[in-house]
Amino acid sequence: VNQVFESVAKKYDVMNDSMTLGIHRIWKDILMHKMNPSPGTLLLDVAGGTGDIAFRFINYVRSMQERRLQRKLKNHQNLSWQEIFESYQKDKFNSLGDSQVVVCDINREMLKVGKQKAQHLGYSEGLSWVLGNAEELPFDNDKFDVYTIAFGIRNVTRIDLALQEAYRVLKPGGRFLCLEFSHVSNPLLSRLYDLYSFQVIPVLGEVIAGDWRSYQYLVESIRQFPPQEELKAMIEDAGFFKVDYENLNFGIVAIHSGFKL
Amino acid sequence: AAVRCQHYTPLRALQASAALRRASDEHKEPLTSSSQQHFDSPPAGHQPEQEPQGPRPSYTGQGGQESEDYESEEQLQHRILTAALEFVPEHGWTAEAIAEGAKTLGLSVAAAGMFHSDGSELILHFLSECNTKLSKLLAKEQKLVQLGEAEKKPIDEFLRHAVEARLRMLIPYIEKWPQALSVLLLPRNIPSSLNLLTSMIDDIWHYAGDQSTDFNWYTRRAVLTGIYNTTELVMMQDSSPDFEDTWRFLENRVADAMTMSNTASQVQSTGEAVVQGLMGAAVTVSNAESSRAVR
Repeated sequence: VNQVFESVAKKYDVMNDSMTLGIHRIWKDILMHKMNPSPGTLLLDVAGGTGDIAFRFINYVRSMQERRLQRKLKNHQNLSWQEIFESYQKDKFNSLGDSQVVVCDINREMLKVGKQKAQHLGYSEGLSWVLGNAEELPFDNDKFDVYTIAFGIRNVTRIDLALQEAYRVLKPGGRFLCLEFSHVSNPLLSRLYDLYSFQVIPVLGEVIAGDWRSYQYLVESIRQFPPQEELKAMIEDAGFFKVDYENLNFGIVAIHSGFKL
Repeated sequence: AAVRCQHYTPLRALQASAALRRASDEHKEPLTSSSQQHFDSPPAGHQPEQEPQGPRPSYTGQGGQESEDYESEEQLQHRILTAALEFVPEHGWTAEAIAEGAKTLGLSVAAAGMFHSDGSELILHFLSECNTKLSKLLAKEQKLVQLGEAEKKPIDEFLRHAVEARLRMLIPYIEKWPQALSVLLLPRNIPSSLNLLTSMIDDIWHYAGDQSTDFNWYTRRAVLTGIYNTTELVMMQDSSPDFEDTWRFLENRVADAMTMSNTASQVQSTGEAVVQGLMGAAVTVSNAESSRAVR
């Protein structure tokens, strides 16, 4: 797994865009919307290499803070200019509202790409990058509010261990969110999807990233991955409650959610 | 009254239990014991409060432990929502209020993700709690009457008292209540909110006792629903001290309803009279026509 991602790290984002025709951005946006983080949320994004989820999280939290500030100011119509100035100052330091995200990945190359992206896009605060294995996370118990793993759990050898680790590091009341390719039940769509996956994607892999094999591996790993209900059962086995999944695009992708109660 | 209490369980409780029953089928023994531990530890010094909701519908799970799990998840959600109510005046009926509520119970703010982001469950939970409180209040008063310690109120006074008591429960949240009303009108919420409303109205009529009116059951329900809804709307815009304008409005509406009931018996005879009048008019007109034609 490590080697696969070393070779794809640099072209990861480009490949994502071309394989999914850019729809992966929408999937990740939907994930963030579903999470609906409150201020002060501590997020752990596992297998989050190039930082897509992390950046979206920061954007979301920032815009919520701005909206909150606007609402507060609307209610304080008769403040003096001095008070308004001061309130802006105070909240400037709090533009993230104490929310933070830790990006954890097993692959150093992916983290490197992610850090570069962050610098390039201007994300500086509230972000940290940690090298770690999803099956054995380098964090204490009961630490995070939300744990996400977007298109990463498929690559974990022992999914049950990863789920147990997720359970361990989450605070009571914390949420587990998993965005992953899943099974399409609609037979017609399933055939089209298979056609696309096996014929088009490895070719794109060769053309864009110069790597047929990695993307062949990718498509096969998607087929081997447990379907929605099975993954739901595995998540429940790890101890999560209120486990549910939402199919996106008829099951091409599914978001599983569970709570540590 | 015991049968009636089933109405107070909001529809969402049934949905949650259905999902849970599917889930509990997959739970194994060691899992339930570990989850029990987790449930006991978080809330620091917070006693699992006695659910005020009366006889809960009993879902017999696959054994004592599973049904306890079911209760603890439902109960936990109830506790979070109850804790969230105190943050409603500040944050409105939103996921933020729920997140703050979860925080006071020692849970992560992410627990608010268990509920809809528009705060529907919070509002429905609040309505259900209000209805339960009203029911308890009316039951207590009925007991006093039965024991002879209090006078039985005439029907109009009883209705006024019941509606006022119920509407007063909105006072702490009145600023954000219009927002709640609009959320309750969402198609998704209409079955639940309608259910809660009608069970409340039923309850009030139940405790009003069988006063002899010429109304039938549907009319009585419709009349009181109308009174309640219009008074609620008036209350939203009332700025008089202690809402005295609202109570006066309520008094007038109830008086109207009483007058209506008195004339209800007359309506039938009036109806006949009207028909006869119409017939008479028709006859007169046709006579006039024919007499004109003749001339």
